[in-house]
Amino acid sequence: MEGAIEAQEQTLRIDAPAEVGLRVAKLNERLARYIPSREMWTPVDEALFGPIDLYRVPLEDAQTMQLKAITYAFTRHYNNNSFYHEYCTTQGVSPSDIKTVDDLFKIPLIPDLTFKQYPEGKDFARWIGSVFTGDLPKVVIKGANPTFDEVINAFNASGMVVTYSSGTSGRFTFIPRDQKTFLTGQYGLAKSAINMWAGDLFETDGYLLLPNPAKTNVFVGKVTSVYFDIVNEIQMAIDRELTSKDIQTAMSGGHGPKGRLFSYVQNRTQEKTIGKIIQWLERHDKAGGTVSLVGAPYLLYFVMQKLQADGKSFDLGEDSFVLTGGGWKVRENIRLPVKDFRKQVEDVLGIPDASCFDLYAMVEGNGWMVQCPEGHYLHLPYTYYKPFVLNEDLMPVEYGESGRFAFLDALAESYPGFIITGDQVRMYEHCPVCDRPGPVLEPEIHRATGEEVRGCAEEVRRALARDFSVD
Amino acid sequence: MTQVSEITDQRHTSQEVPKTSMLGVGMTFARMLLENPAALKKFRVMGPDEERYVRPPRQYELPPFRENMEYCTSNEKYLRPTRYCNPGEPEVIAMATELGAYELSDYEFAEAAYWFVNTKLLVEMLSLNSVSATLKRGTGTCYHLISVWIALCRAAGIKARYKTFNMLLPDEIMNIVNVEEVTEGEAMTADMFNTGVPEGEGEVYVDGKWTVGHVAMPSEIYARVGLPIPTFGEDPIGFTFKLIPGTVKRFESIPLQLGIAMNALMWLAPAAMERANLAVKNNLPQGRKIIEEAGGREAYDKKARERRLSPPIIEAKEHAALVFED
Repeated sequence: MEGAIEAQEQTLRIDAPAEVGLRVAKLNERLARYIPSREMWTPVDEALFGPIDLYRVPLEDAQTMQLKAITYAFTRHYNNNSFYHEYCTTQGVSPSDIKTVDDLFKIPLIPDLTFKQYPEGKDFARWIGSVFTGDLPKVVIKGANPTFDEVINAFNASGMVVTYSSGTSGRFTFIPRDQKTFLTGQYGLAKSAINMWAGDLFETDGYLLLPNPAKTNVFVGKVTSVYFDIVNEIQMAIDRELTSKDIQTAMSGGHGPKGRLFSYVQNRTQEKTIGKIIQWLERHDKAGGTVSLVGAPYLLYFVMQKLQADGKSFDLGEDSFVLTGGGWKVRENIRLPVKDFRKQVEDVLGIPDASCFDLYAMVEGNGWMVQCPEGHYLHLPYTYYKPFVLNEDLMPVEYGESGRFAFLDALAESYPGFIITGDQVRMYEHCPVCDRPGPVLEPEIHRATGEEVRGCAEEVRRALARDFSVD
Repeated sequence: MTQVSEITDQRHTSQEVPKTSMLGVGMTFARMLLENPAALKKFRVMGPDEERYVRPPRQYELPPFRENMEYCTSNEKYLRPTRYCNPGEPEVIAMATELGAYELSDYEFAEAAYWFVNTKLLVEMLSLNSVSATLKRGTGTCYHLISVWIALCRAAGIKARYKTFNMLLPDEIMNIVNVEEVTEGEAMTADMFNTGVPEGEGEVYVDGKWTVGHVAMPSEIYARVGLPIPTFGEDPIGFTFKLIPGTVKRFESIPLQLGIAMNALMWLAPAAMERANLAVKNNLPQGRKIIEEAGGREAYDKKARERRLSPPIIEAKEHAALVFED
């Protein structure tokens, strides 16, 4: 991105403690290429780059920014995305209907499963083209029947960033981002972390507990490329090419001979990776350096288990940092409550509670819900992101009630980021522990379950599934 | 009356046959059986303590056939007899007459036939057979039921055809996070149906356009999960079903391989099919109660429509910027 603005310009808004301002100024220096020049700012940019601390903007100011940013994004998708335009038309909603913050709920929300309903081969490429808002760059797709990876790589070679979820169910969620959306999303991620942690992330040596962003198109891996622009030296847990086939096989939990072989190799590789991470931690512990560990919680859990089994522990201290995200995936069976996980981090790595964070996000969005150090509630970036919690009739519930999480994400320029997720959450108007003014989610997130009509074929599938599960 | 041999002789076969998906599902199924041969016994034999499926009594009277009843004998595409769908069978002609063929307008007749099939016939897993057999029995798979609707419309001189598509696997499978909790069977069948769960409906040509009818899903099933009840002319795609784009196919006749596949499945896994029949049968009372409590089908439907969310369908359209090099 051209024309980076000076760091000082970014710190004009007096809505955060001075030390946060200094950290954000340093972030803006490091991430200058992520920030458009000031005169090019849209209301969305204003809502992301303007505030020093995304989680401390006074509510009235935030509402003004939020309304402007989301209305701007809605108008863009309404005018430039044919499937979304049609969807809005059938629901009788247009940008002229959005005048106040209360009107934002009128914006048509898209169920997240919509992005799992894609065809294969060349039609998959056309489908991505239809999800995309705006003018597509020229994309050359080779082969009569291209695979998902071939199509994605073709899009990404044209400058786009098409990523997918980890596809636990066997079907991925594919989301096309343009450079602007990808860079602003990453900036949002970095700023969210910097806003929450009082330490100096820039001085840490990093270990990415995820795949090399340059060698995967999985969203949770790809989005961490911003990490390389922030910290000093970085090591990566998985530094090899990861295709959608690999992910699908891994997520199938080792079913079938191929899956079992993959699981065996994966487990062997993981053991080696754990060994390498421990050596790296030992080196830094001895040298007295500070570290940052970013990535999958289950991998860090295995590292700590191994350390505990070997009777080892470190004292990396409060100037080291842990940020986990992406869930436990196939390791869900060993998932620890977030509180117990933080306790283990403190006991084994010597990194205190206030420097250990979990993050909630998803491939369809660019909002980063990061825990506060005081109470570890998940704080929402409410200047550019409007959250809702919906009941079974898809109407908003009161604060404190549980329901399905939905959001309007203004940062999504290349696709309509107005989504109903499959996650069950509980939202509060303010954090019950800290003094940040915005809304929060309870730290434990669960998947909501729904039922659908079943045709004969689905009844047959269920009957076969039951019988295949004979003991 | 048209005979089955004539249908074969005239080669009234399907125009678009979903070969790949059918073959893929069959291959995956065979592989799954090889990996889990113990399942075969359970597929074939009901356990001694298992509840048995008893076919419910037919929900209607079969009207008597009379030789002077009017029916369509055209050999035109979409009107002529096709595999498992002969509009010239006496039971079909008699039922079409009973429902108002050649008395009502085409639209009114197609709608009357739609509600007859939708509300009077019940879902049951069976080998594919003739429409007359389905009418005598009062039950069948979605293909049996669609065939009844199509045959009734063709007998009344209304062009009719099949439409199939693949749906996304259900939410409860798509939303799985805890893979360790997934049974081997769920994982295997999710793999088997990864390209989607097949579903069918019919289309009739009235007033110069094709009008859809999803006849094979009883209202009780929709009510059980709080969804609106699609009416004649209302496509459940994008309304209650999550379509996998690019999977819609239309054809005049049921493909030969579909009949073979269904018959093979019935032969190979009669006990599994009986369990599926029980599941369908046991689902109905709950939905019926919900409809009754809402004040009837229309009242229930009105309420369900007020709260529905139809997911948008994203079509795989051509884009000038996409260049394909084979």
